[in-house]
Amino acid sequence: MARNRKNQSAAVRFGPALKALLICLFIGGSGVGYVWQQNQLLELGRQKAEKEKRLNLLRVQDSQLGRHLAELQSPKSLETRLKELNLGLSMAQPTQIVRLVDAPLTPAGKATLSLPPAERQYAERRTAASPVP
Amino acid sequence: MALLLVAAFAGLGLRLVDLQVVRHDDLSREAAGRRESTIIHPSRRGDILDARGNVLASSLFVKTVCADPSLIGTNQTVVARALAPRLKMNEAELAEKLRVRAWKDQTGKERVDRYVILKRKVTLEDWEKIRAAMKSLSFGVDEKKLSRRDRAFYLNLRQRAIYTEPVDDQLRIYPGGTLAAHVLGFTAATDKLVEGNAVTELVGKDGIEAAFNSALNGVTGWRQTEKDVGRQELVLFREEDVASRPGLNVVLTLDAGVQDIVESELAKGMERNAPISIWGIVVRPSTGAILAMATLPNYDPNQIGSKTPIANLRNRVITDTFEPGSTFKAVVVSAALNEQVVSLNEILYCENGVFSFAGHTLHDAGHHFGNLTVEDIVVKSSNIGAAKVGIKLGEARLHKYVRDFGFGDPSGITLPGEVRGTVHPVKNWYKVSIAQISMGQGLTVTPLQMTMAVSAIANCGRLMRPVLVDHLEDEHKQEVFRYQPQAVRQVISEETVKLMVQAMKKVVLPGGTAPQAALEHYTVAGKTGTGQKAPYASRKYFSSFIGFFPADGPEICIAVFLDEPDPKRYYGGETAGPIFRAIAERVAAYLAIRPDLQAPSDQPLQKLSSNPPEVIAQTGLPSR
Repeated sequence: MARNRKNQSAAVRFGPALKALLICLFIGGSGVGYVWQQNQLLELGRQKAEKEKRLNLLRVQDSQLGRHLAELQSPKSLETRLKELNLGLSMAQPTQIVRLVDAPLTPAGKATLSLPPAERQYAERRTAASPVP
Repeated sequence: MALLLVAAFAGLGLRLVDLQVVRHDDLSREAAGRRESTIIHPSRRGDILDARGNVLASSLFVKTVCADPSLIGTNQTVVARALAPRLKMNEAELAEKLRVRAWKDQTGKERVDRYVILKRKVTLEDWEKIRAAMKSLSFGVDEKKLSRRDRAFYLNLRQRAIYTEPVDDQLRIYPGGTLAAHVLGFTAATDKLVEGNAVTELVGKDGIEAAFNSALNGVTGWRQTEKDVGRQELVLFREEDVASRPGLNVVLTLDAGVQDIVESELAKGMERNAPISIWGIVVRPSTGAILAMATLPNYDPNQIGSKTPIANLRNRVITDTFEPGSTFKAVVVSAALNEQVVSLNEILYCENGVFSFAGHTLHDAGHHFGNLTVEDIVVKSSNIGAAKVGIKLGEARLHKYVRDFGFGDPSGITLPGEVRGTVHPVKNWYKVSIAQISMGQGLTVTPLQMTMAVSAIANCGRLMRPVLVDHLEDEHKQEVFRYQPQAVRQVISEETVKLMVQAMKKVVLPGGTAPQAALEHYTVAGKTGTGQKAPYASRKYFSSFIGFFPADGPEICIAVFLDEPDPKRYYGGETAGPIFRAIAERVAAYLAIRPDLQAPSDQPLQKLSSNPPEVIAQTGLPSR
């Protein structure tokens, strides 16, 4: 028997040691892996928290800019700005407005304007004042 | 030796039992208290927008800046000097706040205040400046040479002495300032508990802010989590995480442009006529949509406080009632025409200005009318003529039409504080009441009720419910709920409306009571009102003009009311009429309402050809 054990192959003799080594490596690796994973989770959590903070900050900035925009768009602010820039802009008067209406085609194929008399006159004057080349 | 070892192990065992068994509950609770944390996610209050999407009210997250005086020690002067300009506070006052205050608790143990609120509503930008100022604070000592303990003291002072409340507060902002203040209302802060944490929340106190408080306020969220020793969150240990739900945006039918026009013209009218208050309403008769609603004097909801007079806070358009005076004749004559008890051309004798009825003497103010047609009674605003029309109509029918036009009931506008006015039941009427009510006395109405009644005439006789809110939308601008126009009832027939419009058109013509309300490019139909305020001998008046245009296809109804104008000039036609005209001209141009009149100024062709008309965009600015 003893002779037989002596003559056992290296694989048989180092097998248990290899197994033990592999088990140790597995356990050790698992431990290291667990710690690495926990570190990763903490790091990702930290990154997530930072990004959430940044998102909140951007939201706050967005609402601040929105408020600023609303202030700039308020009628009083626009009026003040108009006065400052002295652009001479004013509300369009009814005589300055031309409404473009698609005229229905008559059976003869000639378009007719279905506008109130006052407006038709504006439209006609407008056409006369700037003839199409 | 062995005995010692046994004793040592026994001691350790006892300690272990004490910690893990006897004091387990207390200690684990204390540990959890230090580790676990609830973070509150405040919900953003929704915006209030006008019909074109302009922001009328918005919310901004702000900080409440606090201090821990125990970490400041005797350095309050240095800290106050650095922070006072950033907190916009007096330096001495701030230094006093930062002084350490000691007190004794119930057990007699001496404690110091570690929580002092320095300022609320500090913007994030200002808070960043405060943090930067604290970081770069210098105390005039070489800190490198100090002991470790002293260095830690200065480090704590810079990093922890000034801090903010964990939950952000909200600041309500009204970018337009006083614009539509009475419609928007204002908010106040209240505390509520969320998951055991006190959270400051905005609550609407008036106007749309109060009426739509539950829609504007979202739902507060929270997060159960754990923190490390540096009070940094350990995201890994998050448990519950409930996101907050922002409030809904309220989109009004109000147009900021029209509102601004109304308010600026009312302000001019206030200067000219010196009333104690002036009110204006712009309505689309076909839908009941309110485009503008203004009351002067007003207030700035951004700076609401003890200095704002209480009277200025009232939205008098819905909270105040008055005897309508002659504008009410439009209601009485409409009713009589609808019942066919009179015709427009029927002649009534107006008693030469003095009419004795039921033991009372009625007068036509400043006039001695003889025979007048019913149309002329409206055009010239004869009290005696209107009284006779009312008498012909009869008490029961007059009362029915008064109620049908919406008087005596709240109009149903979505604003708090609306009153219903006073319309007595017929059984409580005196004998003279029928004549008084026909003249617009003996009952009280709100300006809004009166405007909606005239709008009903403009809207083919159909009374609409006033609509102030167009729809509600979420933060992604997705519509959640739309408020549809609501017809209350058909009050008078379309034939009657045609007759009434025919009469009301003449009110603004020469010979009528309000030629100053006529427009160049539009036919106007309207009615003036000049009511005496009780006591009637006090020479206090209530003047008004309500009109709509274009008269035969009304797009807009505008009402102007003056409470106690200068007694030297108080007739509705000469006080409210010109204001109506100024508002109408600007609103018509702003909304690009189609003209129905050819004005004399349009005649010279050369003038127009040298200044050719332009196609304009909806904003009213020339397109380029």
